[in-house]
Amino acid sequence: MQKPDLVIVGAGPAGMAAANQAAELGLKVCILDEQSNPGGQIYRDVDRVAPIRGDALGADYTYGTRLTDKLHHANIVHMSGATVWAIEKGFCVSYTQNGRGAQIIADHILLATGALERPMPIPGWTLPGVMTAGAGQILLKQSGVVAQNAVLVGSGPLLYLIACQMLRAGSAPKALIETQTGADTRAALRHLPRALQGWPYLVKGLKMLAAIRRAGVPRYQGTASVSITGTDHVEAVHFMHKGRTKSISCDTVFMHHGVVPNTQAARSLGIAHHWHNAQQAFVPKLDEWGHSDFAGVFIAGDSAGIGGAKTAEAYGKLTALKIAEMTGRLTVGERDRKASPIQRSLSHELAARPFLDTAYPPFNAALTPSDNTLICRCEEVTAGDIRRYTKLGCTGPNQAKAFGRAGMGPCQGRYCGLTVTTLIAKETGQSPDTTGYYRIRPPLKPVTLGEIAAMDITTDESPQ
Amino acid sequence: MESDYVIIGGGVVGLSVAWGLLRRGRSVTVIDGDDGSFRASRGNFGLVWVQSKGMKQPQYARWSQTSAAMWADFAAELGDNTGHTVPLEQKGGYDLHFSEETLHATIDTYETLKTQLDGNYPYDVLGHNALRKEEPHIGPKVVGAILHHQDGHANPLKLLMALATDVRKMGGQVLTGQTVVDVAKPDTFRVTCKDGLTLCADKVVLSAGLGAMQLGPRMGFKAPIRPQRGQVLITEKLPKLINRPSLIARQVDEGGIQIGATNEEVGMDDRVTQPAVSALAGEAIAAYPALARAQLVRSWGALRVLSPDGLPIYQESADMPGAYLVTCHSGITLAAAHARLLPDWLERADIAPNLEVFSENRFDFS
Repeated sequence: MQKPDLVIVGAGPAGMAAANQAAELGLKVCILDEQSNPGGQIYRDVDRVAPIRGDALGADYTYGTRLTDKLHHANIVHMSGATVWAIEKGFCVSYTQNGRGAQIIADHILLATGALERPMPIPGWTLPGVMTAGAGQILLKQSGVVAQNAVLVGSGPLLYLIACQMLRAGSAPKALIETQTGADTRAALRHLPRALQGWPYLVKGLKMLAAIRRAGVPRYQGTASVSITGTDHVEAVHFMHKGRTKSISCDTVFMHHGVVPNTQAARSLGIAHHWHNAQQAFVPKLDEWGHSDFAGVFIAGDSAGIGGAKTAEAYGKLTALKIAEMTGRLTVGERDRKASPIQRSLSHELAARPFLDTAYPPFNAALTPSDNTLICRCEEVTAGDIRRYTKLGCTGPNQAKAFGRAGMGPCQGRYCGLTVTTLIAKETGQSPDTTGYYRIRPPLKPVTLGEIAAMDITTDESPQ
Repeated sequence: MESDYVIIGGGVVGLSVAWGLLRRGRSVTVIDGDDGSFRASRGNFGLVWVQSKGMKQPQYARWSQTSAAMWADFAAELGDNTGHTVPLEQKGGYDLHFSEETLHATIDTYETLKTQLDGNYPYDVLGHNALRKEEPHIGPKVVGAILHHQDGHANPLKLLMALATDVRKMGGQVLTGQTVVDVAKPDTFRVTCKDGLTLCADKVVLSAGLGAMQLGPRMGFKAPIRPQRGQVLITEKLPKLINRPSLIARQVDEGGIQIGATNEEVGMDDRVTQPAVSALAGEAIAAYPALARAQLVRSWGALRVLSPDGLPIYQESADMPGAYLVTCHSGITLAAAHARLLPDWLERADIAPNLEVFSENRFDFS
């Protein structure tokens, strides 16, 4: 392949919108995505699924085909099933595709690696039958599998969305066990005036809540002491509600308390991050165009900070405009003229965000779990272990990793990283910024030694 | 704060020495860096290794043999004291060869060393077939191996944690997240940290790894050390595939295959690079073809702490008597000697080992 002007990692809304915008402006774009079909998580497999299950999944999902359609552009090479495992200065992007390792070189790179569901380590969360709401959605989107006798636990709009999707698919959840409190709702009210500028989101939320009420699905709000029990499979969820202990038997638990930026690729390049208190997560330091402190590396979409699909799309376009200007396809004036309507739309898209972040904060008991709760599933490390390592002098996650292997398993800390930082920060009294994060190293995703050993440079070869 | 010893550097070397001093009833304060410090103790390969060491200085081979021989007892004591087992296996290790020429050239040098060591250098040469009986997964490209019976491997992170635990249990003060900015000796030693904290001690041990490059000269040492990058890989956990370790690969006690290591002169750069990762993967597959299907889960770069001849440096400062430089690149192999024997040298005991060949005098130009 000819050396592209821009390599994009991830074909979700940010990556697809950036690819299209850049291609329209004459840049040669290569977009690498680990899924077999474009769409990212939000529009997962949308080209195939929209015609068969579009009704149950809703219009916000089928909208994704508008973005996937635009990938069919002469200037775009879309490499699906391509797992990026290393990015080095230069930029050399190493990936594997169909069991073969290869590398692409480009001067500009856009990381659009999306979000991860915030893990919800509460007692019993590793039992079979317990999964994230997002995993439940993948089953529904890709395979049409609807869980029976399921309970939803956590907080946030995604819980309501999946409840409604389950209702439309004909299998109502048994209950919603929600962890946000009355105090959270009251605190959120001061953000309501601004949120009204993003009123379509609020209307959608109210509609979802009305549908859940009509279906008679009980909602328990302000719950505490949530735990899951079962012998070799989930059997029940227990919680405190209005001062009383309650138990609900179930076969499936979907958990969700927000999503966090997937920063592994950015971290591997040493890009600076800072702690976002409202989102309780690290976000990369970026300028208004998504340019990081590593010249040539851009980040857009949820991997730059949680904003949702439409925000991701807008930032993807802005990034493409900036790169087009840097490579001489646009003057600064042209760039700004094209950017201005996108920036206006962004302020509407982001209007509801402070309200939502405040109304649906993460479940505190899962941010700093009890001592016996596993926090690193790969290596079976508990919250108590991390507290012990802190007493042994660990000031940050890398020392804790050396002592207890948290973050050394196949996920490389993607799931336990924020929990470990939060636990150490709480114990030492340091800020999360001072505490820091895991040093991320290749491979960003597991890859076989054979694929790596057979690595060849394919800059002069067509990838198709 | 005042103690008999201040130890600058809380890695395996510093903690081993601290542990030995505490066992002798000395009061010790260890000053350690932060989460982002270069840490050879966190990035090393975990071999407890004798072969190929000291080819030009038999005393170094002896020192390594002495430490390797004390390791099992040392690990057991740490395990008993702390409840943290330090996994160790000492049933020999290989130097694998892909050509007859390199195999025979190595045997020649081992024979010379064996004579210098009065015959105490127990090794066997295994041809391909003999090797395959020991290692059923060995690949056809491996023509043979030297099996050295004094070699083995340990879990270096468990060693680090056991030392960190036991040093505290024995009353050692460990201050983490600190950077030493000055060491002075107006009467007793005064060690000043970046945040203004000052510690007083009768003696100071500088075991700060590459940190000694800056601090060493200010304490009267030559400290001619440099970083050398080693990149290392580790796979997913696998069923038993490799029985004995080699410099190419070893199966760690948790099941992963650790693959090492590059030797790169790139300064203070501990990044991982694709060409090195590919080359390491290729060599490991040549040795054990089944590894081609193994998933790589992690790689890292770490910086060796190397002297010009690769040997340790044990030196008392002429400018500041009572200050000692202790540095080496084989902190795991030498941990037992550092814990059990080096304190005698620091305490100037009659039974102290003679470490003259490891002094900085060897770097004098004459």
